[in-house]
Amino acid sequence: MKRIGGFFGDSFYRFGSIVLFVLAWQTLCSTGLAPGTFVASPAVIAETLAKWAVNGFLARHGLISLSRALYGFLLAVAVGVPLGFLLGGWFKAAGRILDPLLKFLGQFNPFALFSVFMLIFGLGETSKVAMIFWVSLWPILHNASLGVRTVDPLFVKLARSLGLSRPRILWRIVVPSSAPYLFSGLRQASGTAFFMLIPAEMLGAARGLGWLIINAQINYQIPQLYAGTAIIVAIGLAIDALFRFLEGQVVRWREKAAV
Amino acid sequence: MARHVSIPAFLVLWETLSRSGAIRAVFFPPFSQVMATLAELAVSGELWGHLSISLLRALSGFALAALAGLPLGFVLGGHSRSLFELLDLPMEILSQLNPFLLFHLVILVMGIGEAPKITMVAWTCLWPIAFGAMSGARGVNPELVRAGRAFGLSGVSILSRIRLPAAGRQIFQGLRLALGQSLFMLVAAEMMGASRGLGFLVLDSQETFQLRKMYAAVLAIAFLGLALDALFGLLSRLLVPLPPGQSANTAGD
Repeated sequence: MKRIGGFFGDSFYRFGSIVLFVLAWQTLCSTGLAPGTFVASPAVIAETLAKWAVNGFLARHGLISLSRALYGFLLAVAVGVPLGFLLGGWFKAAGRILDPLLKFLGQFNPFALFSVFMLIFGLGETSKVAMIFWVSLWPILHNASLGVRTVDPLFVKLARSLGLSRPRILWRIVVPSSAPYLFSGLRQASGTAFFMLIPAEMLGAARGLGWLIINAQINYQIPQLYAGTAIIVAIGLAIDALFRFLEGQVVRWREKAAV
Repeated sequence: MARHVSIPAFLVLWETLSRSGAIRAVFFPPFSQVMATLAELAVSGELWGHLSISLLRALSGFALAALAGLPLGFVLGGHSRSLFELLDLPMEILSQLNPFLLFHLVILVMGIGEAPKITMVAWTCLWPIAFGAMSGARGVNPELVRAGRAFGLSGVSILSRIRLPAAGRQIFQGLRLALGQSLFMLVAAEMMGASRGLGFLVLDSQETFQLRKMYAAVLAIAFLGLALDALFGLLSRLLVPLPPGQSANTAGD
């Protein structure tokens, strides 16, 4: 059972709660009930964001964070999907043998490993990308191998007896049948990738949204802190909505095809 | 039997590569030395001090999140349609709010003791638990609830006999996900501001270049995660038997 909706759901009612919340927040700040030393009002946040948008600050830090998340994620897709297919489909025995090892490696905490990555890759971009790769890899790998295991072997046998070549079997049968699992893995991984990037940037980076947050925290710049938070939440929601949408397309297509 | 070959094989590979000098032993000490360091830490009691405080933080945060998240998800998913519509979107927005964003504010409000770390773990755990309970409660077959009512079951027994068992698997999936994430986030929190705990041990040994100790701490965290996950898997198998015809593999989605 999937949750319906997502960010761009249908009901006006749902957005009403957000408007109410923002209004209440603004009122609390304007009346001084919420002290400005701890809480920035929505108006101040909007003002800060507008300033950042104009002077290019937002684009600079946002793009660097997004590109880190994207590179790590794409790398995880490039490794995880083929590996999952191989282990779940073609080399089932190897998959069974490697399964405990992969579970074991998946338990290695990315933040603890961050220290190791910094030793190997240095302080540059690579260590951050490696960390995002590491957290994205496991859901993608797991779901790819799960998906390929649910492919109906009858279809594969049929295709083989009809003389389809291996790449065509892969592209026409295995990939479409396992697509719902693949996309569920991609959605999980994309959410985690961006979520984990922020603390990674807080621990060791000189640019990016995580750095922006830690910088605002250290210098006690409340408006900047809240504006950065708002941007990060918005990007997280957008990524989630995008992958939910893609997943919905794939699942709906599959249901139609299954009839 | 073959299932248990891969981990030892990996460890042997690590050991050989490091000892033969194929990878630099300064950066990647052999597994046996790391385990020896781990044993030293365990004997001296240092490990237990860090482990126990991390475990305490993770579990109390997790327990708090379960206490709040399960009823919240259940009420929103099962009982009140309008409340669900009202709160679904704000909850989704809040779930995107990374606990690290407001870490310093939390510290300002709560002080630098245990409370901020436990709060961060609880915040992280809350969302998978609440969403799991919510989708579980929404998936309960309404016919079953109606049948229960027709037989004159009270609200409490409908909850305990029908709703909870029917939603059990999703509830446990949410809990399991949360437990895994709790440790992830806790380690990061301990690296950012703590003087005890496994995350602190990793960062401290890294900064003082005691790499064997660092790897020992990394391994200890992995072992702790595996142990918690295995324990939880066992618990969920005992409490929520899989429906007939489903194997453990296909239940993962």
